[in-house]
Amino acid sequence: MLHIIDDEEVVRDSLSWLAASRSIEARSYASGQQFLDSLDGTFDEQGDCVLLDVRMPDMNGIALFDQLVKRDLTARLPVIFLTGHGDVPMAVDSLKRGAFDFFEKPFNDNDLMDRVQQGLANSRQAGELAAVHARLATLSTREREVLDLILAGKMNKVVADKLGISMRTVEVHRAHIFDKMQVKTAVELAGLLK
Amino acid sequence: MKNPPTFARRLQFTSPVRWLLPVLLLLLFLSVLFWLPWQARQMESNERQEQLIADTLWVEQTIRFQLARNEESLFNLGADIAKGMLPASSVHERLQQMLRNGRELQRVIWLDTEGQVRASSDHTLSQDTHFSPLSLTAGDNARRLHRGQYAQPAQQSGFPDAPPGTMLMDYHQPLYNGQHYIGSLVATYQVSSLLDEMVPWWFAQDNQISLIDRDDKILARRAAAGPGHGVYTHKRALDVPGANITLFTDSVKSQPKLLPNLLVGSVIALSLGLLWSLLALWRHISRRLTAEGALRQQMLFRTAMENSLVTGMRARDLEGRVTYVNPAFCQMVGYTSEEILGRLPPMPYWAPEAMDEYQQRFVKALAGNATPQFETHFQRPDGTRVPVLIFEAPLVDKNGKQTGWMGSVLDISDRKRVEELNRQQQEKLQTSSRLATMGELASMLAHELNQPLAAISSYTTGALNLIKRASDSGQPVQPNTLKPALEQASAQAQRAGQIIRSVHDFVRKSEPQRQDVDIRTLVDGIRALIDLQARKFYVTILEELPPELPLLHADPVMIEQVLLNLTRNAIEAMQDAAPGRRIMRLRASYDARQEMVTVDVIDQGHGIPADVAERLFSPFFSTKAEGMGMGLNICRTAIEFHGGALTFGANPAGGTIFTFSVPAVPRAAGNSQHLHA
Repeated sequence: MLHIIDDEEVVRDSLSWLAASRSIEARSYASGQQFLDSLDGTFDEQGDCVLLDVRMPDMNGIALFDQLVKRDLTARLPVIFLTGHGDVPMAVDSLKRGAFDFFEKPFNDNDLMDRVQQGLANSRQAGELAAVHARLATLSTREREVLDLILAGKMNKVVADKLGISMRTVEVHRAHIFDKMQVKTAVELAGLLK
Repeated sequence: MKNPPTFARRLQFTSPVRWLLPVLLLLLFLSVLFWLPWQARQMESNERQEQLIADTLWVEQTIRFQLARNEESLFNLGADIAKGMLPASSVHERLQQMLRNGRELQRVIWLDTEGQVRASSDHTLSQDTHFSPLSLTAGDNARRLHRGQYAQPAQQSGFPDAPPGTMLMDYHQPLYNGQHYIGSLVATYQVSSLLDEMVPWWFAQDNQISLIDRDDKILARRAAAGPGHGVYTHKRALDVPGANITLFTDSVKSQPKLLPNLLVGSVIALSLGLLWSLLALWRHISRRLTAEGALRQQMLFRTAMENSLVTGMRARDLEGRVTYVNPAFCQMVGYTSEEILGRLPPMPYWAPEAMDEYQQRFVKALAGNATPQFETHFQRPDGTRVPVLIFEAPLVDKNGKQTGWMGSVLDISDRKRVEELNRQQQEKLQTSSRLATMGELASMLAHELNQPLAAISSYTTGALNLIKRASDSGQPVQPNTLKPALEQASAQAQRAGQIIRSVHDFVRKSEPQRQDVDIRTLVDGIRALIDLQARKFYVTILEELPPELPLLHADPVMIEQVLLNLTRNAIEAMQDAAPGRRIMRLRASYDARQEMVTVDVIDQGHGIPADVAERLFSPFFSTKAEGMGMGLNICRTAIEFHGGALTFGANPAGGTIFTFSVPAVPRAAGNSQHLHA
């Protein structure tokens, strides 16, 4: 989902149209506050990206970005700044603080869209990573120990020997781990935690 | 100022000696003057005395000689009587004859031995002889000595025809016949007659002659010319036996007087005059010395004053020849006073580019109306310029006649620097504010135009994307899917056009406020600003604005702006030119065919390279570090608003000529609508 935040309706409309022409789902907001209000902790599985105009009345782009940084949302919501003439130093500064990119007006529209798609991809990956981490967090201490040994390629027997528990117990842990990590095979698990 | 050691100055140091010599000479002169007449008098006096002595001697001789002759006559007569040959009657005859011959004789008588009168010179033979005792004594002496004897003169009676109190002197001539006394002849002299008869008139006229006895008792005196003065006197004893008579002469002439008196008088008068004049001279000299001292003091004071002045002073005579400069002036222009004094224009410190300006002012000054105060610049020998402020005033002598011009010259480099600094500050301020305004305007314009352009770009890109996708998949493009985007793009293009139009309208709103104005009035109005610029770079401005030009029909403010811009460019173009070439000319002419007044701003600066010329009028193009690049662009816009044109070309003499034309007021209308700006 592409979030277009600009006070100019014509910009929002034209960028939405452009995004649509590239099959990117877009939603537009007339102000930063409107965007913040729409955040409910859920993210698009296809990834999110924010096109943010630096110059806006009330809350400008930088202030909104500061809010996102504070909420640690910049990974899930990659921000691409749209800057006018003279805003470059400010944009560079925000880039250092975690903005995804900035485009100086006038910009090449398809280049922008390419970057948007990369942003969406990043967001998607970040979302997946976050999910894996969330699953890992559900594992008990013993299950983490078992997981580490499994990822190291140890057989159940070796794991049991190492941890000083029975083969049976290892298998139970293993089943729990697979269950919690929503994988079916060890190979799948390894791919997830790569 | 150095005073050459003059003779007078040397004398001043030896004042006593200076006075000693003339005083000594004067004293010598005076003493000689006094001595000479005295000496002359002395000589004359001696001469007179000698003359007197000689004359006296001569008189004495005369008297003596006469007496001797009478003595001889008596002796002869006596001898004849003694021989006894003569009768008494013939004796009387002879006696009478003797009396006739010698008028000094009063009487001659012949006495016998008894003292009886035998014969007498008188007519009557009187026995009354009345001899004085002295005479009787003389008679006795004569008888005894057998020689004639004179008696001391005395008064005697018995002479009725003689005046009473007449001194008479008897001469007794004893007569002897052998050794026998036979009588005496007695001749009686009237003493006064001696003098009257025997002293020549010319002597008597000059002298009082006296006969005196031993006791200086006067026996007789002849004073025909009055009494003597007792100055030249001489005494000479008359050698008469038996009597003691002295001839005393006393000149009536006093001391030689007239001439010496005149001389002495004139000498004294002259000396007094000399002394007075000397005193006057001395007083005059001392007054002059005092005045001179005061003058020198004054002079020194003035010189010190002039030397310590920081204001340059320059005096010129009516022909413009420099007659005086003070050290401050010399320092200012960098020439010594010897190089300047006595020079006629052109002066060495005149800057070549301002030569015409000086010459014009000089000609005006010669005509009698000098500019009382003006700013200009001078050139030092090393070529540097020094800006000066000059106050010129007529130089009037004590008779009220003008003899030249006096100028005080102030070096205003410092003031100029401050002015320049202020001006630059002001300019910077203006530039920055203008920059801010321009920046804001540009940024606003950019933002305003960015939005529709960005939108159009996005719409069209999106449309293209769709078309591409459709062609990739081999499906036809649905017109309906593209339509809204294209409509939007069109709308945004319209919007952009609207913005441009509104800016245009905004500019168009400042339509020129046209008036009928004289180009010279416009130039005069901003001349001060141009001069300010020009002086910064020592550029001279020459105006060629013919008075017969028609009026312009233009917005004065806009044309002033254009003039300011162009002159400023011209001046700045010459900032690296040789000082002599820094001349900017403002030339106006009338193009009757187009009814335009054409104004040329001509510099002799670096000119305009071809690559710059191409972009000269482009906005935001500037060759200046601090330039906005709007100047010429705005100028051209302003001129084109008026329906004129702004062009430029190379100056054949080097540099550039910018030319703009502005519509002129038609001749007939112009005169009635002339606005006096």
